[in-house]
Amino acid sequence: MKVLDKELKKKAINLLKNESDSKLITHLNACVRCGLCADSCMFYLAHKEPQYTPAAKVAMVSSLYRRYCTYAGKMAPALVNAKELDEEYAEKMVDMLFGGCTMCGRCVKHCSIGVDISYLVKKGREMLATMNMVPATLQSTVDAAVNTGNNMAIPVEEFTETIKWLESDLIDEMEDPEARIPLDETDKELFYTLNPREPKFFPLSISAMAKVFYAAKANWTLSSKYYDVTNYGYFNANNAEATIIAKNLYDEIHKLRGKKLILGECGHGSRANRWEGPNYLKKKYDFETLTAVELIGDYIRKGTITLDKSLNKQVCTIHDPCNLIRNGGMFKEIRFIVNSSVENLVEMDPYGNDNYCCGGGGGMLAMSEYNDRRLKIGKIKADQITATGAKIVITPCHNCVDQLLQINHTYKLGVRIMTISEIVADALVINNKTK
Amino acid sequence: MSWYIIAALAAAVVCIAAFAFQFFKLLKMGVPEDLSDKGGDIGKAVAYSYTKAMMPQHKESAYLHLPTYAAGMIYHMGTFLSLALFLVIVILNFAGVEMPVVINSVIAALLFITSALGFAILIKRMVKEELKFISGADDYISNLLTTLFQLFSALYLIFPATGMLYFVCTALLFLWMPVGKIKHLLYFFFARYHLGYFYGWRGTWPE
Amino acid sequence: MAQIELEGKVFELDGDGFLTTPEVWNDQVAELFAKSDGIEELTEKHWAVVRVIRKNFEEKGNAPMIRTICQETGLRLKEIYELFPLGPARGACRVAGLPKPDGCV
Repeated sequence: MKVLDKELKKKAINLLKNESDSKLITHLNACVRCGLCADSCMFYLAHKEPQYTPAAKVAMVSSLYRRYCTYAGKMAPALVNAKELDEEYAEKMVDMLFGGCTMCGRCVKHCSIGVDISYLVKKGREMLATMNMVPATLQSTVDAAVNTGNNMAIPVEEFTETIKWLESDLIDEMEDPEARIPLDETDKELFYTLNPREPKFFPLSISAMAKVFYAAKANWTLSSKYYDVTNYGYFNANNAEATIIAKNLYDEIHKLRGKKLILGECGHGSRANRWEGPNYLKKKYDFETLTAVELIGDYIRKGTITLDKSLNKQVCTIHDPCNLIRNGGMFKEIRFIVNSSVENLVEMDPYGNDNYCCGGGGGMLAMSEYNDRRLKIGKIKADQITATGAKIVITPCHNCVDQLLQINHTYKLGVRIMTISEIVADALVINNKTK
Repeated sequence: MSWYIIAALAAAVVCIAAFAFQFFKLLKMGVPEDLSDKGGDIGKAVAYSYTKAMMPQHKESAYLHLPTYAAGMIYHMGTFLSLALFLVIVILNFAGVEMPVVINSVIAALLFITSALGFAILIKRMVKEELKFISGADDYISNLLTTLFQLFSALYLIFPATGMLYFVCTALLFLWMPVGKIKHLLYFFFARYHLGYFYGWRGTWPE
Repeated sequence: MAQIELEGKVFELDGDGFLTTPEVWNDQVAELFAKSDGIEELTEKHWAVVRVIRKNFEEKGNAPMIRTICQETGLRLKEIYELFPLGPARGACRVAGLPKPDGCV
């Protein structure tokens, strides 16, 4: 067990003393430990262990606040549930705040008080990051992004060749030598971004989006160096690293003089760039930031692209990525797109803002040590999918896609997992022809 | 005036001062500055946060746990009733007027019920594994003091001789309120505001 | 940490079931991993994918791009997803004995 560095511990505790606004202090003081949040949490539902109760995770952080930031906690810690931060306590925090919570925020919406539980879990993670206690597996994904510009450390040449390869396929498929996947072009309307797992392992979604752009006659480009929409600095909660990663995209769109930043299908990446990014960089963005979901929704509404939903006849369902739906307001937009693209949509129970996390959020997918828990909570999602009878699960998040692929295999669901751009591309009518 | 009435009044003053201090401090600190472009209507979302979002059909903490939820709501009403009653008792005490026996009996009956629910909630906390796990001294103290406050209010209405018990318990409760978790009396409203603000900014609320 | 034992040799696995020391990998490990992923028998096509991944890992220290796998094996993208139901990362790279790649996989 690591011995806590005194200075780092002090720095971590100081994070709880932020008094620049009342949000932190409010949530730290608001929980009454009624425990009714337990049944809203996937970890609790799947494991039935009290340690997974969201209130217990809140207490991990608020007990330290009481111990180090309140008079009562300093004088009579036992009376007011104040706890000492020592090595053992910090290890437990790692296990629960990194390994026992996906920060999906489902409990927040259902909390009897209105405590922002995932906000406090994130604060706890920030404390752990300050004490250098981020799980190594998660940290290595952040390191890759900080050191190479993308979280899979894909070299520029390899990326460029992959895009050229996909472009030649697009030309064949569209039967148009003018079909393009533009790279590093300046002054474009749309600066598009990807999850590195797309060029590395799952490029069909790039082709699908390229097809949508082709149909929309969009004026767009990718960067060959900084295209990574993810920001695992949000998950490891090291704000300095998150800022470096967010700045990569910010600087690159300026360098290429792009007009709009279009966030590829990635829940936390959308959150980290759309909502957190300007706060990481401490400045308002001087360009518009849109998720791919909003862009496609706009295309459909304005008639920029034409869809024929009879091309997608199979029963579909939607998995709602937490950071895009509950924490990103895309509930209606994603349904508008799917209803325009498929004939038969069956919702999960519950769905939308109440939907369960896939189980792989919060950086869980990167942390091998919690693999068993991740698959166990994924059973809840598996059961939801089975109950819909759907053959296709649509989700605008590559992280969710990967967890769903694994659930699909583990629980033998026999479904197909598709992104929004893939399902839309399959419904496209281009030049009066279906592609 | 008896020493215990003075003690209760003094404790009430301390309690109100402590809450007022925290209240103005929170107001002064304000909401976090968010540099991202707003995605929704904050005003509507905050209003939603205090109203529709609080309805039992919108919260699992309510609709999955209806008996507990109902008990909790009634228990809270008992607390507010007891607090209002304290004010009335003090005023009447000063004025030297007595409450009609009928009203006394009705209020006492109600408070016997609410305090019984308080005890039930306390017992549940002491028995259920998952609640025991998340509970500490504060949870038991807060629950017990509030429940006794209701019970002693009822007793005092019927047996004025129990005055010392009532006022001492009231004093202890007032002193504990700003220290223990009963401070959610204040923080609850701020938490709902911040939550409404957050979901409003993101465009999630109103649903 | 989980372990598997094959012909008296012990192999350490990470939480995701990837080898923690890729150097000890051999054909039997590949077959065992494949079986646990529901691939009854590794065909020529499977092996072609595995060899490309292995070669790239030994030369460059990481998993190849899917493009490299397609181009060097001559297989189409969709075939690779069919060959390895868990996909190129959790499926093929694990069978090829690589450590778990970083990122959303």
